[in-house]
Amino acid sequence: MSARRPMSIGIFALVCLAFLLGRVAAAQQSGNGAGAQESAPQKLLDEGEKRFHANCGRCHQSPHKFPPRMVMTIERHMRVRATLTDEDMRTIVAYLTQ
Amino acid sequence: MLSVSLGATKCGWLRWLLLALAIAPAALAQGQMQAQTPAQTGAEPQGPQAGPVDPNGPDVILPAVTAVPIFSMGVGMITAWQGGQPNLEPLISPVGLIPIGQKWLIEGRGTFESDLIPDPRGPGWKGSLEKEADYVQVDYIANKYVTFSFGRYLTPFGIFNERLYPVWIRNLQSDPLILPISTGPSGAGTGAMLRGGFNLTPKAELNYATYFSTKLTTSPFDSDRDWGMRAGIYLPGPRLEFGGSFQHLLQADHSNAFGFHLAWQPPPLPLDIRAEYARSSNGSGYWVEGAYRLSQAPVWKDELRHVQVVGRMQEYYLGKFEDEDDDLPMVNTKLFEFGLNYYFRDDVRFVSSYGRQFAAEGGNANVWTVGVTYRLAVPVGHGDAR
Repeated sequence: MSARRPMSIGIFALVCLAFLLGRVAAAQQSGNGAGAQESAPQKLLDEGEKRFHANCGRCHQSPHKFPPRMVMTIERHMRVRATLTDEDMRTIVAYLTQ
Repeated sequence: MLSVSLGATKCGWLRWLLLALAIAPAALAQGQMQAQTPAQTGAEPQGPQAGPVDPNGPDVILPAVTAVPIFSMGVGMITAWQGGQPNLEPLISPVGLIPIGQKWLIEGRGTFESDLIPDPRGPGWKGSLEKEADYVQVDYIANKYVTFSFGRYLTPFGIFNERLYPVWIRNLQSDPLILPISTGPSGAGTGAMLRGGFNLTPKAELNYATYFSTKLTTSPFDSDRDWGMRAGIYLPGPRLEFGGSFQHLLQADHSNAFGFHLAWQPPPLPLDIRAEYARSSNGSGYWVEGAYRLSQAPVWKDELRHVQVVGRMQEYYLGKFEDEDDDLPMVNTKLFEFGLNYYFRDDVRFVSSYGRQFAAEGGNANVWTVGVTYRLAVPVGHGDAR
């Protein structure tokens, strides 16, 4: 009995350690997801602002805010008129409407 | 011995079972984290594999509303003095944009303007109203590479006629001397056009336009019979665009015309540099323009950030073929202009400029302009949620 008790204590400690590791990993996962949900849109806005100034700023001063339903039409017009790329248009629309 | 043996066996089996059950949550959680892509977790890719936002990726969420028709209008009230002769130039330029579905757009722009001069028989001004259909076209965005346009379109020769012509966009109110080269009698063509822009590499974009126009003599839809193309390379990093244009006239002297354009906005500075060169049988010339917004001035920031200073130098050299209807100068001409604009808002501004024209046969003159420009844009409709 005395030889098996330390083994049981060791197994119990191992189980507790594994359980804690599992909880920590799960907590890290949820924490990363929440943080990324904040950083990804910010990166998108930064990219959209950069593309807005690089493309629209070639001819226009920065306009005041337009409603999203107008932005959709204006960007389609500018895609034709200024030959914006599809990628630029999508990113700029996302920037101007979020 | 047996019991000990059984006990040892039970203990070993139970030990490994407990160990597996304990490790499972950690392994499962770690496995889920590795299986998910950065886009699914929303996490930014780290290290050397990190890159720019993918515009086609799930992060780019477009608004769930439909595009609505827009009514827009550019308004200008310009007073110009050329060689001491005053001119009043009121102008209204309405624009209509009608999106249909996800790929179609009907758009049009007209111009109503007048060139009023003092009435020599008494007080007041005299002049007539000029009406122009700048463009009325149907656009179909076929894919990311090609857009079809049909109808009456602005001739894509150089960059001024298509992009910078509206009174509320241009930095100086006078037209470049070479603008009539290859833009036809009205700056527009009637026919069909293929155009588009796409990424060549992550650091370079290609834009192009190729067109065919038929001859019309009915005002205000007059146009020449010609075909042509324009292509440009745009580098988003340094914000530098350069390209060239070509046009072949399918009437009269069947001449060719070509030109080059350049636009550069150095990213750290609120500076616009633009230039065009054009050559045809009628003549050749260039213009170079620089516009600097004083938004980085170290003093009086609140006021100076609204101010824009502009300078433009241009020259025109008469060609062999003289066509009095094309609005080109009839003699070799040089013109330097200096402008000062004040933006009350992005859509309302005060514009002014002074220029000195040097032309042969006594054509030297001072050119002044003062005016106000305004741009209106309103939606027509509420739009529906998609």
